[in-house]
Amino acid sequence: MGAKLLYIEDDKEIADFVRGLLKERGYEVIWLASGERAVEEASGCHLALLDVMLPGLDGFTVGQRLKKAEPALPILMITARTSIDDKLQGLQFADDYLTKPFHPEELLARIEVLLRRFRTSGAEPMAVKHLLVYEQENRIVNGDSGEEILLTGKQFHIFHYLLRHAGQIKTKEQIYEAVWNEPYLEGDKTLMVHIRYLREKLERDPAAPEVIETVRGIGYRVRA
Amino acid sequence: MKGNGPKETAAKFRHSLLSRYLLIVMSAILLLPIIISLSSLSYTFLGGFLKSGESSEPKYGNASQMESLWHEEAGQLRGGENERIERRLRELKERYPEASMFWVDGAGETRLVLASGEEGYPVPERWTASEAIRFMKASVNGDPFTVVAFLGEEHEGPDFMVLQMPRELFLSTEPTGSVIYYGLFVMALFFLFVMVSLLFFRRIRRRLLRLQWAMTLRGDGGLPRPIEQSKQDEIGQLEGAFNAMATHLEESREREREEESLRKQLIANLSHDLRTPLTVMNGHLHSLKRDNLSADGQEALKQLSGKVGDMASLIDNLLSYTLMTSGKYPLRLETTDVLRLVRESAAAWYPLWEKEGIEADIDLEKTGGPLEWRIDREGFKRVLDNLFQNVVRHAADGGYLGITVEGEGNGRSIAIADRGQGGLPSGKGAGIGLAIVGYLLKEMELDYRMERSETGTTVRIQPRGG
Repeated sequence: MGAKLLYIEDDKEIADFVRGLLKERGYEVIWLASGERAVEEASGCHLALLDVMLPGLDGFTVGQRLKKAEPALPILMITARTSIDDKLQGLQFADDYLTKPFHPEELLARIEVLLRRFRTSGAEPMAVKHLLVYEQENRIVNGDSGEEILLTGKQFHIFHYLLRHAGQIKTKEQIYEAVWNEPYLEGDKTLMVHIRYLREKLERDPAAPEVIETVRGIGYRVRA
Repeated sequence: MKGNGPKETAAKFRHSLLSRYLLIVMSAILLLPIIISLSSLSYTFLGGFLKSGESSEPKYGNASQMESLWHEEAGQLRGGENERIERRLRELKERYPEASMFWVDGAGETRLVLASGEEGYPVPERWTASEAIRFMKASVNGDPFTVVAFLGEEHEGPDFMVLQMPRELFLSTEPTGSVIYYGLFVMALFFLFVMVSLLFFRRIRRRLLRLQWAMTLRGDGGLPRPIEQSKQDEIGQLEGAFNAMATHLEESREREREEESLRKQLIANLSHDLRTPLTVMNGHLHSLKRDNLSADGQEALKQLSGKVGDMASLIDNLLSYTLMTSGKYPLRLETTDVLRLVRESAAAWYPLWEKEGIEADIDLEKTGGPLEWRIDREGFKRVLDNLFQNVVRHAADGGYLGITVEGEGNGRSIAIADRGQGGLPSGKGAGIGLAIVGYLLKEMELDYRMERSETGTTVRIQPRGG
């Protein structure tokens, strides 16, 4: 892969093992033990991995500075804080977060998801089942037939929203409010109708959808 | 502020409301004589001006003046000077035409009678003792007003002269209008005093209301804010005291906040220090996994990995519980659609359930309308997290998790059911998690009941008393 990661962690033991793990996966890693030089080192990086508890400048401040300097740089926060404490403060700028102690596999998985979401080169399409999605160009191609699939504005919005949160289940309220930008009213069928049309265009078999999964009782999910 | 001694007391008294009200009362009292004399002056002036020529006094002075005049006249006459007496009486009759006069000589014979037309008691021709007494009896305090005077310098008699005059001539002709005028003046004065007092108290009232409003007003931290101090009087001092209190409250709130943040910092540090070794352990376990271990070794590794996870959540729960029960985690209760929150929480947990082979049966749709409770979002999410985590950790063997709405209307409850064979192990890790659930739900005025059986555990959450 060869993506360049900025990793800021003050605990040397953890840092050593995470660096080993990341290098093994082919990432290039710049490790800093404190956040002082974070902004300078961040240029050219594809992702920042940031511990909340740092000596000197704390992780929240460093993260906010990074996001200001490099808005396109995804930030993954690693926090050792208790879950009821200050989590939201960290999430305002962070694109994802992980609590210590994390499983190495989970860290790798999250990094991959973030890199894919923020990938700058639009040339490489993202594969979702039989579909090829060119995010930069807002283009979706049916991999089976090679034909381009044309979506209406709302259909595209819905699909894009689910794709951006690939792997996560989104409830109908969340999707509706993100796409229509207004509060969801109980019993509104608009979203269901749109998803039905969307599936008719995207799915091989709209009766047994694979791209947009229905998670019964909860919502919908797209898995990349 | 203190210790300025009498000077300040004097200044205080000068500024006090009491002294100011006393000033109003005193000026009213002092002004009263001035205004009364002014009013009578103006009345005299105005009255003289308005009623010029129309005397208000009785025409011939009052009755006693008339009486002494008659006696005086009698004193200048002598018995026997009949000519002179009659001439004088005629002159007097001309002066007092309304009066009737006569005189009686020493022999008791009535001489000149100068009548006025309307007679009182008939005048006898000859005067006997009984006639005289009858006449006197009829005349005493009667109308007409009667004066009997013996002639002679020493009023030695026996001749006497009589004057009779209608009493109405002696009544004062003062007009009654002047009394009303006077009363009105006093009333106006009284009203002026009431108005000034009213204005005085109205201002006091307004300032007190302002103070009351300031006390009920809440600033940023839910504390009253200091207000502008207006004057040096009692209310001004009250405002000053109020400001001092507000500042004091603000300070103690500040101290509390500092303690709170210190405590939070401590717990955050503790959390970090406890988790760092666990993270390192996870790393080493990960490296071990790639070695060629025996099946037993792999199993031991899996157990170890699981225990690291348990340990982490135990630390989290323990620290959370400490924060919460010491009141350092204030709940913000808002009316929230609970079903939506449950669905979102389930969405986050679903991938893990899939991984653990737990079939999730979620049905929150069948009952109409959103279910709205007053809850703290984060707190309620925490409750769900702890309950779901218990299912994953202790009831994954049942392979089932059901989330449903039961009941109807406002009494609806949320039920979370599993089919774990062993049920929840009491006091083993689950304890602190459930303590948090219990604490948070109690704070949000919700009840929860847990039913354990051979076939699984069901937790029901519902509004208190529902």
